[in-house]
Order: sequence, then structure tokens, then C-alpha cells
Amino acid sequence: MSQSDEVSKGRRSFLLQAAATGAGAAAAAATAAAAQAPTPPQGAASPGASPSASPSVSEVRSEGRPGSDYMVDVLKSLGFEYICANPGSSFRGLHESIINYGGNSRPELITCMHEESSVAMAHGYFKAEGTPLPVMAHGTVGIQHASMAVYNAWCDRVPVYLILGNTLDATMRQPGVEWVHSVQDAAALVRDFTKWDDSPVSLQHFGESAVRAYKMAMTPPSGPVVIVADTELQEQPIHSDRTLVIPKLTPPSPPQAESGAVTELARLLVEAEQPLFIADRLARTPAGLERLVELAELLQAGVVSTIPNLMPPVGAGRMNFPTRHPLNQTYRSNAAIAAADVIVGLEISNFFGATNIFIDQVERTTRPAIRPDAKLITLNSTDLIQKANYQDFQRYAAVNMALTGDGEATLPSLIEAVRRLLTDQRKSTFERRGKALAEASAAARERFRGDAALAWDASPITTARLAAEIWEQIRKEDWSLVSGGLSGWPVRLWDFTKHYQHLGVSGGSGIGYGAPAAIGAALANRKHGRLSVNIQNDGDLMYAPGVLWTAAHHRIPVLTIMNNNRAYHEEMMHVQRMSNRRNRGVDRAHIGNEIDNPGIDYAKLAQSMGWYAEGPISNPRDIGPALKRAIAVVKRGEPAMVDVMVQPR
Amino acid sequence: MNRISSIALASLLVVSLGAGAQTPGPAATAGSAARGKTTFFRVGCHQCHGGEAQGSPYSTAPKLGPAALPFAAFTLFTRKPRLQMPPYSPEILSDAELADIYAYVTSRAAPVALDKLPN
Ligand code: HEC
Repeated sequence: MSQSDEVSKGRRSFLLQAAATGAGAAAAAATAAAAQAPTPPQGAASPGASPSASPSVSEVRSEGRPGSDYMVDVLKSLGFEYICANPGSSFRGLHESIINYGGNSRPELITCMHEESSVAMAHGYFKAEGTPLPVMAHGTVGIQHASMAVYNAWCDRVPVYLILGNTLDATMRQPGVEWVHSVQDAAALVRDFTKWDDSPVSLQHFGESAVRAYKMAMTPPSGPVVIVADTELQEQPIHSDRTLVIPKLTPPSPPQAESGAVTELARLLVEAEQPLFIADRLARTPAGLERLVELAELLQAGVVSTIPNLMPPVGAGRMNFPTRHPLNQTYRSNAAIAAADVIVGLEISNFFGATNIFIDQVERTTRPAIRPDAKLITLNSTDLIQKANYQDFQRYAAVNMALTGDGEATLPSLIEAVRRLLTDQRKSTFERRGKALAEASAAARERFRGDAALAWDASPITTARLAAEIWEQIRKEDWSLVSGGLSGWPVRLWDFTKHYQHLGVSGGSGIGYGAPAAIGAALANRKHGRLSVNIQNDGDLMYAPGVLWTAAHHRIPVLTIMNNNRAYHEEMMHVQRMSNRRNRGVDRAHIGNEIDNPGIDYAKLAQSMGWYAEGPISNPRDIGPALKRAIAVVKRGEPAMVDVMVQPR
Repeated sequence: MNRISSIALASLLVVSLGAGAQTPGPAATAGSAARGKTTFFRVGCHQCHGGEAQGSPYSTAPKLGPAALPFAAFTLFTRKPRLQMPPYSPEILSDAELADIYAYVTSRAAPVALDKLPN
């Protein structure tokens, strides 16, 4: 073994070790610690630490190896498990280093068939795992394909980590394709909806910016970041006269709301007669859900979370609160919002939409959905991240108090402040209130069960029946609904208790998110042994169905149930609305909206890419047995699909 | 005048496999449930309310049957909806057609017993 081989091997195993204890673990530790102690532990295991080196840097020797090897070392130090890409020549050097120098392990390359799929997979993966998954793409055509998915991640506050290949030095570009695949400023295309980007001009610059990008992406409010990997940096040898270091990553502690405002909010909550929380992207981690349950129970206050019947869905961002908790008022959200005297919006952008009723008739009007004396309060980190061009910040909500800080990180101090103000008298009032809320939510739940029992035997199958049939098959498993709302029936009929059981919506409502996000989340769920369940809209799948092949190729187990309603029904409703408004009748609203004639055979599509697949099923009695067979396949570690013909809604 | 293509209509038609589905509901109007079903699909009520008028939490369109509003209220609502529903004027949906729709929605199957649903 040559000396340089030894150096390389020794360093590689060190880095692998560092990765195992590095960013991923440290991020989790920081999240847990953040609740109690804002200061990160000094000298804790860090990606750059080694027994002999200084705690902040590690040495990387540089004898004739390509720059992309160093880039791989940097990526390893950040603890990435996988990296998604559709192959591209502008990152060929990095690609080669990942599979050969890096041993195709941490990160392991996942082959994607569209950059939009790569990014959406990273999006879904993060929401299941809590750590980012990097994506490589061309700085031109690749990011152009990916951009809609980046926008979804931006709106959904998800840290997608993009590495774009580009050749800045014009004299180094091969004439022809390399010129059309080169750009002055690769990140410009997505700068309006990313948190940070850089185009490093040296390897050391790459190392520092790559670590900074990770930190920026993960600091709440999270968001996508871009690092450009210049081809010259990737492919030229590392100059032997230089010593490269991998900077230490210190996971940041999230910002908490100012303590005086927290105390004032606690006072309002304790004095309120009908306090209500509306939670959207609150629970970044499992701790967020636990803290919200603790706070709600302490106050015996109602919680509205995941309201799928508002357009756009409000509060459907994360799994914030158990669906069957007696204080969950989601199924009677209109009544709960109308009755509340203090309403606290937790990490919600669309607070205006949640507290007002907007009417889309000829004259568009708005009226309040709340009591005139209701006090409105927001606890949001969103104000720390807004940009001007894209309007995902929603309509301005005039509130009585606006606390700026990360919702999840602020909950522990809010809980403490509430505890300090509790009196026995208030506690007995709270108890009565809790009982009334429990009765109201139980009654609402019974109403929904009654509605689900309607048209039980209809064909096409009702969305409620399909949700009930799936629930029957999965309820004894460790399941995770990785994507799919199915008209809001799962959150009404299933018992969601865990953070990973509901991963929320796309963010930007950019169609094409569902299938790849589900498969990305399933990739994260795989090592936890969870049964990933994806309720797949037909129109969404057809944006980039190649992701089915990715799932089969990488043996990503996921149960996909096609919500096959053969049209873009949302859009059909809009055209109906226009037709009626203009008094022309709605008979032709299907034109341009149906996905039929011919109908698409999704089972065949999936089979052609190596999936086990059944369907289309139109008799509701056939769903249960088909799901059983498909789940057996998924438990063997493979993807499986059941195509079901369902009602439009 | 039926302008929808028969293929499109066939693909949207709902056939009820339940034994009780054909039980006629209260005959509040002289409408025909069979004609009403065709109209219900042609004018797109099913898009929001579901093919069996079962309602959907997603579009916030409530169930329309088998227990329905009185016919007068049903008509009034369809002509002048309260919130998000698009209004249907007599020009695009005649009173007779609305009566047929009413006959259709009120003749839908009763809900199954709740113990059929997994808990
Ligand atoms: C674009 C969606 C849409 C379409 C199409 C639609 N509805 Fe509605 N409908 C709604 C919504 C939403 C409501 C709830 C009230 C509101 O928002 O206006 C509703 C409510 C109703 C109600 C009141 C029910 C109650 O119990 O309060 C009736 C009756 C009704 N619709 C009949 C019809 C009929 C008949 C048709 C077809 C001719 C139709 N709707 C088509 C969306 C729709």
C-alpha cells in the first residue's frame, strides 16, 4: 500500500466515523437540547474534530487527487445518507468521486429520472427524517427542471441542499453543449425562493460555503440552499502546496420569542375563556407535537391543526397534534374559530385565511370568521425569512400581538410561563372547558363517521370508503402516511399520534410533488421499518412517473394506492365556476380537465418499471384483499401499487 | 340538449353496487330520479358533492341526500348559494331538471351501520 493510499484510506475511515457522529446526530442533539439550553455544547463531537487535530478543523492532504474528492469529504462530514441526481456532465467529477473515492456510501447515489423528482424526494425525506438530503443538478437545465420543486420546499420551509454543476471559466468550456450548459450565476433562477447560495472559486471556499449552506438551511425558519460546484474545482487536482480543512459545523439553536412577550401571551391564555391554537408548520420535530399536547392540556384549550377543507389547506403543514385527542377541534374548526376569544396562530402563514371567510363569487368578498372581540396572536418565524417577489407569505393579518421566533423552540418557555400563572380557580374552569371541548369533538367525529358511511357500496368508490379500507389494513402496523390527502378522510378516520404519520402538504401546491416526496420519505422510513403509505393522485403521478423506477431500482418499500379519479377535478371546479358565472352551462367543463379517453392503466405503468401492481379496482369489496397482497410485497422490501377507481371528491 | 360526449359521461357514471341503493326516497317532487342522475352528472353537481351526493370534506360541499333540505330550500340554495358554490340560474338548469336532481339525491342509499367502519 502506497503512502498516499494509506493517507487516503485512513482519512476516509475517520470521515466516515465523523459522519456517523456528525451533523445528523449533532443536529438531533441540538434540537433536543434547544428546548432546555440555548447554548450548544462546547467541544461536542463535530464533523471536523479528530483526536489529534484542533477541535475546529481537520487536515485533508492533497496529493494529486481531484478537487471533487475533497468535496466528497465535505459532504461526508455533513452526515448525508444519500444524494439524489439525474446524471449530468457538469458534475461528472463529483459523481465519480462519490461512487469511487467515497465508496458510494454516506452519501449513496440515488438515480432519479427528473430533477424535479430529485428535489421532491429530498423534500419528503427531510420531513420524515429531520435531516437534509442533497441533490446534484446541472446549473442550467437541471435547476430549470428542479425549480418548481425548490419552490415547494421554500414554501414548506424545508431545507433542500442543492449542488449545481457549472463551468464559469469560458476558456475551459468545450464548444457546443458545455456552453449551453453554462451560466454566469447558476443560483439566480431560484434566488427568489432559496435561503442562501454561493458560487465558490476555490476548494477551501467550497468547503466553508458547503458547511455554511448546511447551517443556513437548518436554522429555523429552514429553507433550500444552493452551492455551485465549478467543474474546474471538481476536476483539477488538489494543489499539493495547499492544506485543505473541513470547517466544523455547529448546529444552531433556533431563535425563541422575546421573554416579555411570551409572559404576556401566557397571561392572555390563562385569562381567556375560549383560547384556541391553530398550528401549521409548528412541529419541526417530534418534540413540537409533544409540547403542543402539553400546552393544550395544561390550559384545556382547543387545537385546530391540519384543516384540509380550507382552500388552500390551512394547518396541513405538519403533524402537530393527535387527530383523536379530545382537545382536537379540527373537525369543528369553523365553530371553534367562531367561539374563541384568544386565537394563537403557531407557525402559520395563512392566518388571515384561517380567521376570515373569503367568498369566490362574482364579487370577491371577505368577512371575519371570528368574534369581534377576539384577540389574535401569532408566534411565527416566517417574518424572519420573507422575500418580496413570490407571495407565499399570504394576506397581511392584523393581529394584537406578533411574537417573532421559532414556534417549537418557544413552546417550553410559554409552558413554563403558563404554569407560573395557574391558580386553582382557573384550573377548575379549565377542567369544565376541557370536558365541553371533548364532547364537541367526539360529536363532530361521529358526524364524520356517519358521512363516511354514505354511498358505502358505490362504484367508483367513495374517497371515504377507500380511506376506511386502507385504515383497516394498516392500523396495526407502524405506518407513515408519506403523501396524499384523499379529500381529508384519513385525518378524519385514522388515529394519527406520531410525528412521522403525517408529513403534510407540498407547500407551493406545485403538482408533481406527491409521488417523489412519498418515495423520498419512504427512503427515510426504510431503515426505521415503517410501512410507508402513499395515496397517489393520478394527475400528480403523471408529471414525472419515472420516480416509480427509482423506487424499484433502489428497493424503496412503499405502498402506493392510486386515487384514480381521471381528471384534474380542482380545475374542473374552477371552469364550472366560470361557466356558471357566465351563464353558459357547465356541460363542457371536462374539456381540458379530464384524464380519460383513454384512461391510464397505472398498474401496467408501475409493472413496466418493476413494481408489483394491481388494478384498476372498481368494486369496493376488492380493495381489502388487494391491499393485503400489496402490503406483503412492501414488507419484503419492495414497492407495490393498488390502482383504485374513485369518485371525483 | 346534451352536449357532453357519451364516452366522457360513461366514464363518470356512478353505479351503486349496494342492494339498498335503488330504494326510492320521499317523493317530494314529481321529478324522475333516473333523469336526475344524468343531469346531476351533466351539470357537474357530482364534482363537488360526489356522484352519490354523499358530500366531501375537501370541497366543503355537504351531502345532499338521502335526507335532504325541503325542495324549496334546495332550489333556493342552488339558485343563490351562500358561500363557495357556483350559482345555477334557470337558464342553465331548469326547475324541472332541478326537481329531477332532487328526486335523484333523495333516493340515494341510506348510510351503512357505523360498525362497518374500522375504528
Ligand atoms: C364547485 C363546487 C360545487 C358544485 C359544482 C355544486 N355545489 Fe352545491 N355546494 C357546494 C358548496 C361548497 C356548498 C356549501 C355551501 C357553500 O359554500 O356555498 C354547497 C351546498 C349546496 C346545497 C346546500 C346543502 C345544505 O344542506 O346546506 C345544495 C342544496 C346544493 N349545494 C346543491 C347543488 C346542486 C343541485 C348542484 C348541481 C346543480 C351543486 N350543488 C353543484 C359546492 C358545489
